[in-house]
Amino acid sequence: MLRLLSTIQKELLLLMRDKGGLAIMFLMPMAMITIMAIIQDAPFRDYQELKIPLLLVNNDTGNVGKQIEVGLNESSIFEITNKKIVDENVKKAVKAGEYEIGIIIPDDATLSLNGNVQQFVSSKLSEVGLSEMPKELTNASELKIQILFTPDTKPSFKASILSSLKQSISKIETQFLLDFFTKELNKDNPEAVQSEKLKEFVTFNEINTLDTPQEALKLNSVQHNVPAWTIFGIFFIVISMAGSIIKERDDGSFLRIKTMPGSYLTVLIGKIIAYLFITIIQAFLMLLVGLYLLPLLGLPTLVIGSNILGIVIITVCTGLAATGFGVLVGTIFKTHQQASTFGAVSVVILAALGGIWVPVYVMPELVRTLSELSPLYWALTAFHKLFLNEVGVIAILSYSLKLFLFFVASLSISFFYNKSKE
Amino acid sequence: MNLQSAIIVSNLYKLYKKSVSPAVDHISFEIPKSSIFGLLGPNGAGKTTTISMLCGLIKPSEGKITVGDLDIEHDLENIKRIIGVVPQDIALYPTLTAYENLKYIGNMYGLKGADLTAKIHENLKIFGLDNVADKRLETFSGGMKRRINLIAGILHQPQILFLDEPTVGVDVQSRNVITEHLHQLNENGMTIIYTSHLMEEAENLCTDIAIIDAGKIISQGKPKELIKQNNTENLEQLFLKLTGKKLRD
Repeated sequence: MLRLLSTIQKELLLLMRDKGGLAIMFLMPMAMITIMAIIQDAPFRDYQELKIPLLLVNNDTGNVGKQIEVGLNESSIFEITNKKIVDENVKKAVKAGEYEIGIIIPDDATLSLNGNVQQFVSSKLSEVGLSEMPKELTNASELKIQILFTPDTKPSFKASILSSLKQSISKIETQFLLDFFTKELNKDNPEAVQSEKLKEFVTFNEINTLDTPQEALKLNSVQHNVPAWTIFGIFFIVISMAGSIIKERDDGSFLRIKTMPGSYLTVLIGKIIAYLFITIIQAFLMLLVGLYLLPLLGLPTLVIGSNILGIVIITVCTGLAATGFGVLVGTIFKTHQQASTFGAVSVVILAALGGIWVPVYVMPELVRTLSELSPLYWALTAFHKLFLNEVGVIAILSYSLKLFLFFVASLSISFFYNKSKE
Repeated sequence: MNLQSAIIVSNLYKLYKKSVSPAVDHISFEIPKSSIFGLLGPNGAGKTTTISMLCGLIKPSEGKITVGDLDIEHDLENIKRIIGVVPQDIALYPTLTAYENLKYIGNMYGLKGADLTAKIHENLKIFGLDNVADKRLETFSGGMKRRINLIAGILHQPQILFLDEPTVGVDVQSRNVITEHLHQLNENGMTIIYTSHLMEEAENLCTDIAIIDAGKIISQGKPKELIKQNNTENLEQLFLKLTGKKLRD
């Protein structure tokens, strides 16, 4: 125990006196969190609150055109521009990508829908002998609304937009039918039946799945960047850890320690505990940045949820994975320069794959598949689940286990590599 | 077993992986208790490999080593408690103070508390470093670092001390303090195994020597007797006569 405690104390003293190392461990992730959260704030908002630009040419002067317009506005997914331009110019604007969608409502839309509804209702009523079919309505033309999409619009997106539009039109059609039926039935007795606004018999109620009464959280710039760059900072300890191992090997300390009684494993565990302690301090400070510093800069406050145990578990496992990787890099590479170059490049690559720079869900499918191999992805996913979904410890156990196994695998490879070199 | 021997080496052989010729080729020798034994040889002769095997850092391919009546193959942990090693490199931490470095080394040998503190200050005083105990090693001169390096090897008062070029690159004053104290330790019963390229220093310091070349011991005995037997004037002449004047890598 004395050897272990003494090694931890020695390593902490060495770390505290390494000004450059401290800057990399604490200031770098702090700066990255702040800068990236500010830079990505607007793009995250845009991505979350993105509206589809739509060009609406409403040539109809009647009710149908107005109701379609109201329906589109109520959907809240379109950024509608109203223009009175010719069809050819609508096509050009959509083709050029100025608008994602173009909708042209013909000038006879109300007249046409009215005619069709009257024709339909009169025909049905005359079939049961309640009314006579008016001769002037037999040739009512079908209402044709033109819809244009940009050439690269995905079929699934097109289908969902068409479905949404059809739903709106269908509602208007039904309202027209109801109004006209009422009118026909009241021909002889105007006070008998009142026309009513069409009711919605089925409604959808969105439930907040979070336990807290707060508004459902979105992955904003702060929620992404604080855990992301905290994990990145934790993994950057690979360079210090590998450097420490190489230095001890180069200056003979490693051999001196090996001539002393007791196992070298005790010394290595002491080193890992010291570095692990630093990673926990790192994580704590970075969360404080998200909670107190970023709001001062006009950014949203970091929401960390209520599962503190989960946060501790995933932080410790991330720290272990990083220190284990540091031991591996320090064991395999011969010089500090080789280790620091490889350590930095490998962490940057694992970070890019792991969704540290940009969220994984905006990446191509192939990269998304590769992401699942990155320990930084496991850590980030677990943090997101804890912060955004407020999951319990069980839900992050698989990620914690993966990180722990990564640590064990790194140490095992280092051990067998050293054995093979003896 | 010879109870007068601190170390007995029998038929020691070491062939490294991917190496054609052995680093140490079936050597045998005994190091008397309370002697200062010089293992001398040109670069690449096999000195470091031999010392590394005696300290238990590397395993021999063949042969047997007994250190302080203990078999190195079975009692390495106990052997580690009775030996001290002073490597050629300053195997200490530059950003720690002299005291912090020595405290760490002492703790690693199980020393602690007031006893350890007293031992550290006693040794620092002997080597003229008591006034810089709280200064970082990175601020020390080469000679001061060498003295701290030596203290780190003797702090736990080992029975047997291995020294690899302990005075390389130090000024005359530091070298004098180091050799004087080594004599003192030896007089108190410590066996010292020493390697060096400084033949004059070895001649003055060692009670026994072995000259090794190409992995084999080519001469062994008391320095004065060997010089006389080979009709040479000093150890350097003897060394050149036995190992030749050809440059080594």
